[in-house]
Amino acid sequence: MTFPFRKTLLSASVSLAALMVAQAAAAQEAVFVMATNEVGAPTYNPIKATMLNTATGLIFDRLVSQAADLSYRPWLAESWEEAPDGMSWTFRLKQGVTYHNGEPFNAAAVKAWIELFKAAQGENAYMAEAIASVEVVDDHTVRFVMSRPEPNLLYNLSSTFMGVVEPKSYVALGDNYGVTEVYGTGAFRLDSFTIGQETILLRNEDYVWGPAEAANHGPAKVARLTFREIPEDSTAFLELKTGGVDFLLSVPADLIGEVEKEPNLAILTLPGQELWYMPINVTKAPFDDIRLREAAAKAINQDEILAAVFGGAGAVADTFLISALPESHVAESARIAYDPARANALLDEAGWTMGPDGVRLKDGQPLKVSLWTQSDSIFRRLTEVVQAQLKAVGIEAEITTFDSSMIRDQYKTGEQQLAVRSYNWDNADIVDWFFGGDRLGYPNVSMFNDPKAEELRTAAMTGAKNSDERVANFTAYHEYVLTQFPMAPIYQPLQVMAYNADRLAMPPAIDAPAFGAAAFLDLEVKE
Amino acid sequence: MIAYLVRRILMLVPVFLAVSVVIFSILHFIPGDPIDNLLKIGSSPEARAEMEVRYGLDRPLPVQYGIWLSNVLRGDLGTAIVARRPVADLIAQALPHSLALGGLALLFSTVAGVGLGVIAALNRDRWPDRAIMGGVLLGSTMPSFWLGLILMLVFSVWLGWLPVSGARSWTALVLPVLTIGLGGTALVARITRVSMIEASGRDFVTLLHAKGLSPLRIQLGHVLRHALIPVVTILALRIGWILGGAVTVEVVFARPGLGTLLIKSLSQHDYPVVQACLLMLAMAVMLGTLLGDILQAVMDPRVRAALA
Repeated sequence: MTFPFRKTLLSASVSLAALMVAQAAAAQEAVFVMATNEVGAPTYNPIKATMLNTATGLIFDRLVSQAADLSYRPWLAESWEEAPDGMSWTFRLKQGVTYHNGEPFNAAAVKAWIELFKAAQGENAYMAEAIASVEVVDDHTVRFVMSRPEPNLLYNLSSTFMGVVEPKSYVALGDNYGVTEVYGTGAFRLDSFTIGQETILLRNEDYVWGPAEAANHGPAKVARLTFREIPEDSTAFLELKTGGVDFLLSVPADLIGEVEKEPNLAILTLPGQELWYMPINVTKAPFDDIRLREAAAKAINQDEILAAVFGGAGAVADTFLISALPESHVAESARIAYDPARANALLDEAGWTMGPDGVRLKDGQPLKVSLWTQSDSIFRRLTEVVQAQLKAVGIEAEITTFDSSMIRDQYKTGEQQLAVRSYNWDNADIVDWFFGGDRLGYPNVSMFNDPKAEELRTAAMTGAKNSDERVANFTAYHEYVLTQFPMAPIYQPLQVMAYNADRLAMPPAIDAPAFGAAAFLDLEVKE
Repeated sequence: MIAYLVRRILMLVPVFLAVSVVIFSILHFIPGDPIDNLLKIGSSPEARAEMEVRYGLDRPLPVQYGIWLSNVLRGDLGTAIVARRPVADLIAQALPHSLALGGLALLFSTVAGVGLGVIAALNRDRWPDRAIMGGVLLGSTMPSFWLGLILMLVFSVWLGWLPVSGARSWTALVLPVLTIGLGGTALVARITRVSMIEASGRDFVTLLHAKGLSPLRIQLGHVLRHALIPVVTILALRIGWILGGAVTVEVVFARPGLGTLLIKSLSQHDYPVVQACLLMLAMAVMLGTLLGDILQAVMDPRVRAALA
């Protein structure tokens, strides 16, 4: 009689243990909703993709990572050294790293990857354009021989587009790489991918080489991540509210209040990489007169906008770059801040006198200008406030709204006078992108083409041998552009995310510019 | 009959060509192009011209159209410029989802619409008729985007019976099918009701009454059969519209399908994908119309006689 009893007891405890394991496994899952601007990324091939999502950054590690202050930290490269003349970079690679398919990560793999990257000749190739060749120094040391100094190399290497792919499978899989199968060295490997719908990642159990800014270097604490793609923000919010998903990687400003109303939901914010501004077309009268540009720029009350339109979340912008960038540290005199007295004085000086209806006049003509914006609700709301602020100094701005997907072509006509725009970028080369004299119309909406700026631009883009020089050159370029008032900086939003606080425990600190690989390593599921 | 069929199918050729010209030109006249979505901050100003050449966008529009049409006729839908995948692959992934959603919505609107239409007709001018027709009017005027969100709120948020969105289980299909199907139900119910009332006044019905058949048997066995001819035609026509109408519903419910693909590609100006999606939707309408005509010819003895 004892034997069957023991057998029963044994099988019962085995079942119980199995059940507990199953429950633990279920608890180690989390469902994320991709940011709306990442919906529809068609492939996980970083070399050829035109857009990539957050999951890509978990499949592929990079040689270097970026911390919250935008400085560079070791990742797959343990350390690096730039030659004094900028003509070579030597990277010492971490040992014991393997790809998801078991292939070793070493100097030969890095060489093969860079060669594939350059050979693809796609839109991303410019990131490795300055690398002339890669030399294998020893098994875990590579040297990038440069065709010209590229102080921006570390920035490029930290980009998701330069996620280190496994070269053998990349060649063998051809066009299927990134669609059906994909191999990196990341903390998670691809389990399944349905374009526009869902991506499932599984924990890489061998992972112990997490980036420096993560507290946990691996393996990740969550076993399975599901990334859903939901194009409608309100649908995504209802999924979070009903427990269908655990985390929204983007939350629009108008849903923050809704999230805060729910007791089990919480908001997570990180410093943003976005900046809102008002470009001023320097070629269109009356803004061909720098006094009017300065007046319009100084009529913008950034603090009022921060409080009234964005509920105090985020920060005001008083330069053209996000505050985290060292190149944003320009001279105090170059910063553009609200100064209605100065704006009014400049307009008076330029001969525009205040008319009876609050609109300034010159030679009997009212100071009427156009103000372009795009159809998204937040743009319209902000533009109306900007319109009211311009009116306060006697500039009457008439708003024209364009569809977001078509406004770029409208800018190419060069007919705009003022506009409200935003960009999302964390590198000073955005100044070159929006104010380069050979990109008039779009992206250079301000139609700014100034000989001195072009000189400073060349120095900033290609004249520096190392990163300190690049920072100095870009700061000088940025500072000069600000003094010419081709735009008015307005606002720097936060990155806003939302999660189910009953289900997930956030890392105590996220020392990264975005909720990426480091944060996912430290993330925990509670239940 | 066969001559009629051949004639009808041949008529589709000029329609197809006209549709293809319209799709191609509308898309290319919309301001914006895919290159803006490909250019990366930090790339050189010359990159734009290089890319235009690479994707053949520097050629005159008629030449681009000619190349596209000849490829399409050979079954080659091209490669997506922004998405970097063969368009046929993207469509093949999306189409089954759209067909399932559209097919079920059509089935729902047929069953519910005919049922409600019959009940309304049988109770003409009494309260069930008024209630059904009132409900139908409401159903047909509600925008699907809004209706979808309301259904989501009721069945997923308040009652918690069904998932909010996605395509992970069959239960996720219920709300989108209802959202699309309710509009169709309204149309089918209205037409069923009107045709039944109209058919009830015919001479053969008086004759059947005179023969002593029960009124219910006359209505369901004879009147309904007559009344269904316009219903079937309308349903065939709706095959195409249902795929098109699913566009917003797919986006609201975050379902994969032609609609989601179309919206995403449109915002990226990914010409080859948008062209292929629109062509699919146009073909569905064309084939639906053809099917409607054929069914009508088969079912209606008068049309059959005229064609013989």
